[in-house]
Amino acid sequence: MVTLEFHEPTGGLEARQPHAPRLDALEGKRIGFVSNEQWQAFRMLPLLKTLLERDFAGIEVLPINAFPQGNALIGNEETAAEVKRSGVDAVIIGNAA
Amino acid sequence: MKNAVSGLGLAPDAAMVTFPIEMFLPGSDISPVETRKHEFYDGLTGWKSDLTAPSNGASPLLSVRGATFEDALVRANNLILANQWGDGLPVWPATRERVQWILQGTPRPREHVLGTFPPRGGVATVEICAIALAMAGGRPEYLPVLVAAVEAFLDSASGSEQLQAASGSAFPVVIVNGPIAKQIRLNSGFGCLGPDPQRPAGASIGRALRLMQQNVGGARPGVGTMANYGGLRYTNVVFAEDEENLPAGWAPHGTERHGFAPGSNSISLAFANGATNIRRRGAKKETPEEDALQGMHRMADFMRVPNLAGLAGYGHGTPGILMIPGVVAQTMAGLGWTKRSMREFLWEHSKIPAEHLRRAGGYAWIEIDASKVTRDSAALDPWPITACPDNFVLIVAGGGHPTNSYWLQGYSPGVVGRAIALPEEFPRLLAEAERDMNGG
Repeated sequence: MVTLEFHEPTGGLEARQPHAPRLDALEGKRIGFVSNEQWQAFRMLPLLKTLLERDFAGIEVLPINAFPQGNALIGNEETAAEVKRSGVDAVIIGNAA
Repeated sequence: MKNAVSGLGLAPDAAMVTFPIEMFLPGSDISPVETRKHEFYDGLTGWKSDLTAPSNGASPLLSVRGATFEDALVRANNLILANQWGDGLPVWPATRERVQWILQGTPRPREHVLGTFPPRGGVATVEICAIALAMAGGRPEYLPVLVAAVEAFLDSASGSEQLQAASGSAFPVVIVNGPIAKQIRLNSGFGCLGPDPQRPAGASIGRALRLMQQNVGGARPGVGTMANYGGLRYTNVVFAEDEENLPAGWAPHGTERHGFAPGSNSISLAFANGATNIRRRGAKKETPEEDALQGMHRMADFMRVPNLAGLAGYGHGTPGILMIPGVVAQTMAGLGWTKRSMREFLWEHSKIPAEHLRRAGGYAWIEIDASKVTRDSAALDPWPITACPDNFVLIVAGGGHPTNSYWLQGYSPGVVGRAIALPEEFPRLLAEAERDMNGG
C-alpha cells in the first residue's frame, strides 16, 4: 500500500468576538432595522415590523429608515455607533441575496 | 452569509432566515415572511451558535492510502473534490515535501500571517500560499509573486472584501514588472493571458490565488461567491508587462502607477470582470496617423457603454486595463503618442452622452454610489466613465503583431501595488528551474 499525506488547504479561522446575547423575550423591547435598501427590503422589513408589533405587547419597532440605509453605509463604524447610541435591544439586518 | 459572519471574526454561523431568490425580486410574493415569522422571532431570542471556530495554526496533514501511487493520487483528488477544495481540474496534492520545496521561494517564515481572506476570514499564511501553489502545479520561484499578489489582494484598498462575494464575476488581474517576469517564465507576449507551456508561471500563480480565494476565502460558486458567470476564474489573469518593447520614455506600469523604481520587481493588482479583443489596425490604405487614430477611436468607442462596471473604481480605481502590443506602442510613440496622451484621449472619447446614460437607467446606480465623487459626476454631460484619465491602466503586452489590442473591463475599487521580496537563494532556484524546465 502507498500512503499519500498532504496538507489541508483552507487555513485556520480566528473567532475574535462572541455573537451578541439573545433577548429573553420580545415583549416590551425596542427593535431596529439596518437595511441595505435592496432585494425588496423596502417591502419585507415593514411587513416584519407589522408582525412584531402585532404579536408582542409593548414592543417598539423603529421604522426602517431610523438608521442610515444602503450597502455603502450600513457596514461602517459610524452606523454601528449610531445603532448603539439609540439604545435598541436588538437589530434585524437585511436583505442579502 | 456564513462566510461574511466568520469574516467579521465571529463563529461561522448566524441567526439567519433564508428564502429562495425569487422572493427578493421585484413584485415577488413576500407572504413567506409571515408564515415563517417565528424563525425571525427565534433568531432574536432562542438562537445559539453551535460552532466554535478552529484556532489559527499550521495546516493539518490528511492521509489517503492506495494500492499503487496512482491509486493514492486518485483518492487524494477525490478527497480534495469531496471537500470542495479543488476547481474540477486535477490538482497536485500539497505533500509535506512539495510544500517545503516551494517554501524555499520566500524569505519569510512559513507561519508569517499575510492577513485574513474575505469573506470567510481564513488566515492566509505563507504556508497556505505554498500549499495553494503546490496544488496549482507551481514552483518555488513563483512564490514571491504569489505572496505579493496575496498581500495586494488582502489590502482593503483592492476592494476584495466585496468583490469576493459579489455577483459581478470580478477576477483579479496581476501585472508583473521587473526582471523576475522573464526569470520565472511569465508571459508578456503572444498568448500572455492563456496557456503557454514555454511560459507557464502565470497559470500556476493565478490558479493558486483562485484556490486561496475559494478555500481560504470561502468563495465557492453560489455559496461564498454569487458571481453569475465566473469567467477567467480558473487561473485569474497573471502576466508581465513587455518591458523590452516599451518605447523610449514610456515608464513601466509599476513605476507609473505605484512609484516603484524602474527595473525593480513589483506586482500591481486590480479587478476586472470582462475581457475582450478589440480590432486595432486598419485594413486598407490608411496613413500611419489615420491607422493610429482609428484604432484609438475603436478602443474608446468600445469603452463608451453604460454598463457602469467602472463605478466600482470611479474615483481611485480603474475603468479597465488596456493592453497594446509592443509593436503598436513603438508605432504610436513614433507618432508622438505617450501613455499619458493615450489615456487622455480614451478618457475624453469614452464619455457617455447623458441621454444614453438616462435611457439605460445609469443614474440610479450613480446616485446610490458610496463615493461623493461618483455621485457628483451625475451632473456631467457627457459623463466620463471614470473620474480622471490617470485611472486608465495602459499596459504594453501581447504578441508582436499589430492587429489587436485587449480590454480587461475594470471592476476595481483600487489598483494596489506591492514590491516582490526574493530569498537570498533565488538564483539557485532559477538554475534548478532551468534544469527542470528543459527536461532535466
